[in-house]
Amino acid sequence: MLLDTMETLCCLDGVTGGEDEVRDYILERVMPHADAIRTDPMGNLMVFKRGAKTPDRRVMLCAHMDEVGLIVTDITAEGYLRFDQAGGVNPQILLGKPVHVGAQRTRGVIGCKAVHLTTQEQRKTLPPMRDMYIDIGANSREEAEKSVSIGDLAAFDDTVVRYGDGFVKAKAIDDRAGCAAMIELLEGELPCDCWFAFTVQEEVGCRGASVAAVTVEPDVALILETTTAADLPGAEGAARVCELGKGVVIPFMDKGTIYDRELYNTLRRLADENGIAWQTKTMIAGGTDGSAVQRSLGGVRVAALSVAVRNIHSPASVAKLAECEAQLALARLFLEEMAK
Amino acid sequence: MELMELTQRLSGLSGPSGFEADVTEYVANYLHPFADEVNIDVLGSVTAWKRCGRPGAKTVLLDAHMDEIGLITTGVKDGFLSFATLGGVDPRMLPAREVRVMTEPPLYGVVAAMPPHVLSAEDKGKALSADKLYIDVGLDQATAEKLVPPGTPAVYVSSCEALGEHQICGKALDDRACAAIIMKAFERLSEKRDLNVDVCCLVSTQEEVGHRGAKVASWTIRPYKALVVDVTHGRTPDATQVVCQCGKGPAVSIGPNINRTMALELLALAEKNSIPCQRKAEPGGNSGTNAEAIQITREGVATALVDLPLKYMHTPVEVVDLRDMDACVELLTAYVENMEV
Repeated sequence: MLLDTMETLCCLDGVTGGEDEVRDYILERVMPHADAIRTDPMGNLMVFKRGAKTPDRRVMLCAHMDEVGLIVTDITAEGYLRFDQAGGVNPQILLGKPVHVGAQRTRGVIGCKAVHLTTQEQRKTLPPMRDMYIDIGANSREEAEKSVSIGDLAAFDDTVVRYGDGFVKAKAIDDRAGCAAMIELLEGELPCDCWFAFTVQEEVGCRGASVAAVTVEPDVALILETTTAADLPGAEGAARVCELGKGVVIPFMDKGTIYDRELYNTLRRLADENGIAWQTKTMIAGGTDGSAVQRSLGGVRVAALSVAVRNIHSPASVAKLAECEAQLALARLFLEEMAK
Repeated sequence: MELMELTQRLSGLSGPSGFEADVTEYVANYLHPFADEVNIDVLGSVTAWKRCGRPGAKTVLLDAHMDEIGLITTGVKDGFLSFATLGGVDPRMLPAREVRVMTEPPLYGVVAAMPPHVLSAEDKGKALSADKLYIDVGLDQATAEKLVPPGTPAVYVSSCEALGEHQICGKALDDRACAAIIMKAFERLSEKRDLNVDVCCLVSTQEEVGHRGAKVASWTIRPYKALVVDVTHGRTPDATQVVCQCGKGPAVSIGPNINRTMALELLALAEKNSIPCQRKAEPGGNSGTNAEAIQITREGVATALVDLPLKYMHTPVEVVDLRDMDACVELLTAYVENMEV
């Protein structure tokens, strides 16, 4: 169920700043299970559900709905689209990738002159993003403008593939994995009252979470996220960060947050006591909505649970299905602990 | 089958140079109902014959190649596959690229992208060469070693679909779009009753590694004239010096590798029949196509080169214009139909 939900979510488009499609879907799913629902001018969706107990501390779970993608900045006279990144895209993964653009989901590809036409030097370098372009098969600006406009968002190809020994490839696993886990929790019985914040604009600086926290006013927040895994030949030691197959990631610190030590220890203990494989990050890298939530209001205790993802921020993100399930299981145990 | 659907079917098959068996089988089966005879040679090229019935008739050859560029595995490291390239692969296309590893049954894989934090300052903004990249098939070392012996080929995974109103986009359109063109031209010619020549449709292997299939197939065929159909670069915003453009018709090449009389005949015919057409100068003796091999087969063959403009050659998102493909079928059919001996 969790995995089907995640795959469905990955196929929706929610490039940062344009999360509507994802929010609409989630709202429809959780509406029958919610005791209260809030939205705000940013587009965050905050859902409250009563559990078996009302703890002293108000608990919030948080996952972001937005994904990285592209934004159209210009249309050339010949009908090609110039673009910039919406959220941090690794420029290595752009050339020759299919995308779909704007409300009409116009099919396009990121073109690049043929290797035959490049110099030895050009072959080894990437063109800067400002020189890249999307080809939508239009022959003029006028023709292109029939289906796209400047400011349109473009998302990566949305095919989902399960392969190998329990792996899944999709775009936007970051952070539809976390969204899917929250939907699953909302659809079941909860051990304690809980707010679920589905946030916008994480990829451009955790902007949604910073205001969602003000609405929810949590004492404790658990961020359900994904994180980069560099578990490839050629990446050695601590630079690997984390590895698919080694368990759900409980980070102690990243570039945005030093996580609450008590909650970090609680998560580790719960994982050990319940036989859930876990690992921590071996490098201080990346960040989560935790950074915004922690420093909202008068301060919030935050922890995070992440799924390790290869090729993160690309159309071919890869996660291990069992680790998505482990993230959900440990989040549920965390709520049980909060109920005590 | 319509030209677009045939092109989509061909694009979806896996057939990098030297490993074209699936394409060979498909092409042979497709051409069979229209041909007097279909043969497959030792290198896997398919020839389909339409005999005109005239004693001592000469043969005109239509050629396009069936192979595509690809990858070939060289080993397994920590469960990931190392690989080399088959044909002219652009390494910038590889990170986060989906591939089909041609085991039996095939395995899905993703070329893993090195996260930016692992790259040295020097490597940032650079393209990693293929020898630094690995295919992730989601398997451990022992299983991967067992399932994927070194020397296993792989191709890009890419759907072939419409792009805008007139264009289509997919992998292996170099040169399967042209294979579709000559197959459709052959289909049409097979319905004609008063041809002056025997028509041989050759869909050849191993072009991307040096025109090897066409070299031996044309030896066997003994053509009198040959029409080679391959792709040429179409103009893009980052290659404005390119002369040919998608949507302006097939390009007829002129130069030492091409029989000038045939080229001029093709251009005149296009004009007479109002078929859109472009001219392309091909300065060297080597056009980079099967025309190189076919022109110097046996005692020499009068060879013309008809090019289909294509954008982003050797990428998984090659783009061609269906109107150019239709015009190409028209031109080839009319040329063969009007041939006198």
